[in-house]
Amino acid sequence: MAGGLIHQVLRRKLQSQSAVQALSCFTSRKANDDAGSAGMRTVALLGAGATGLLGFATVASADEAEHGLGVPNYPWPHQGILSSYDHASIRRGHQVYQQVCASCHSMSLISYRDLVGVAYTEEETKAMAAEIEVVDGPNDEGEMFTRPGKLSDRFPQPYSNEQAARFANGGAYPPDLSLITKARHNGQNYVFALLTGYRDPPAGVTIREGLHYNPYFPGGAIAMPKMLIDGAVEYEDGTPATEAQMGKDVVTFLSWAAEPEMEERKLMGFKWIFVLSLALLQAGYYRRLRWSVLKSRKLVLDVVN
Amino acid sequence: MLQDIIPHRHIRYRTDQAATLLIGRADEEPVDQKKTLENICQSGCAKPKHGYEECVKRISGDDTGTKHCTGQYFDYLTCVDKCVAPKLFAKLK
Repeated sequence: MAGGLIHQVLRRKLQSQSAVQALSCFTSRKANDDAGSAGMRTVALLGAGATGLLGFATVASADEAEHGLGVPNYPWPHQGILSSYDHASIRRGHQVYQQVCASCHSMSLISYRDLVGVAYTEEETKAMAAEIEVVDGPNDEGEMFTRPGKLSDRFPQPYSNEQAARFANGGAYPPDLSLITKARHNGQNYVFALLTGYRDPPAGVTIREGLHYNPYFPGGAIAMPKMLIDGAVEYEDGTPATEAQMGKDVVTFLSWAAEPEMEERKLMGFKWIFVLSLALLQAGYYRRLRWSVLKSRKLVLDVVN
Repeated sequence: MLQDIIPHRHIRYRTDQAATLLIGRADEEPVDQKKTLENICQSGCAKPKHGYEECVKRISGDDTGTKHCTGQYFDYLTCVDKCVAPKLFAKLK
């Protein structure tokens, strides 16, 4: 009977938007009439909850742009259970980051020394670090001074603080990219789709001046313009720098930056899952061996009538 | 055809190889692989594309500014993405 009442309420909700009013008069009528009205109140509350949920659901799913277009899954070369990063791709991706992205996006958790042995040799990295100026100090005279960068220095920040970053980018803060592929749902695919997904908006959608349309970005209007243009970067190894190639390389670089331990983790994981499976088999055998004494007991009930 | 421009040889060139073999054309603009694949995949997504175009026609007379075709656009893009994604990385280095 209580279920039937809820069904009645739900049906009325689906038919018209005035279900809230219907429910309130239902609630007041039922709650006031019955002497044992506690049960009726719970029914009414459950009905109100269901109505609220349904009302919320119809409003939230009405706009697909709100969640952004669903991202496809790309077959990343480092995706398999025993697959490592494509280190040539990390090297190219770092070049793309440096030349295209670093003017607005910081990567303040990565140091130059992290690149050694991953994308560049130590000499190359030292030379790269020496190109930047770093504020250090205070010296013996108590003054701050600038010096060329060292391996131990972090990647340089394009802006001194968040407010400066926002001011230079129309109020929008270009997020730090050190962990971006872990900081977004389905990060690697999302970042690749976003970078290569700039399109014209659909009919009926206008984006205000200063923003750009990107279907993968929640809401559709992103402050960042399309940055990956064919030929924007000249790769050292001669790879043609198309938008898709640069996108793949920069996302591989960002994946490495967020998860530098990935290769070691996969090796360790594979090894220890194997070892622990053997240990499980051994433990299972040993348990059954010891319990066999008790499990093969025979209990005799000797009842004398 | 490229075979007309380059001297006649008894070798068949693939179009992309031929582009790099042409003397003095080393700076041939690379064509974005994703765009190429999207153009190819459009033919397999005729139904959502048609749905989007129908929507555009439906709202063309709209003055209220509230009507838009995001849903149909997303359906079309999802179809194209599903076709492009498995093939794209094979074309990249």
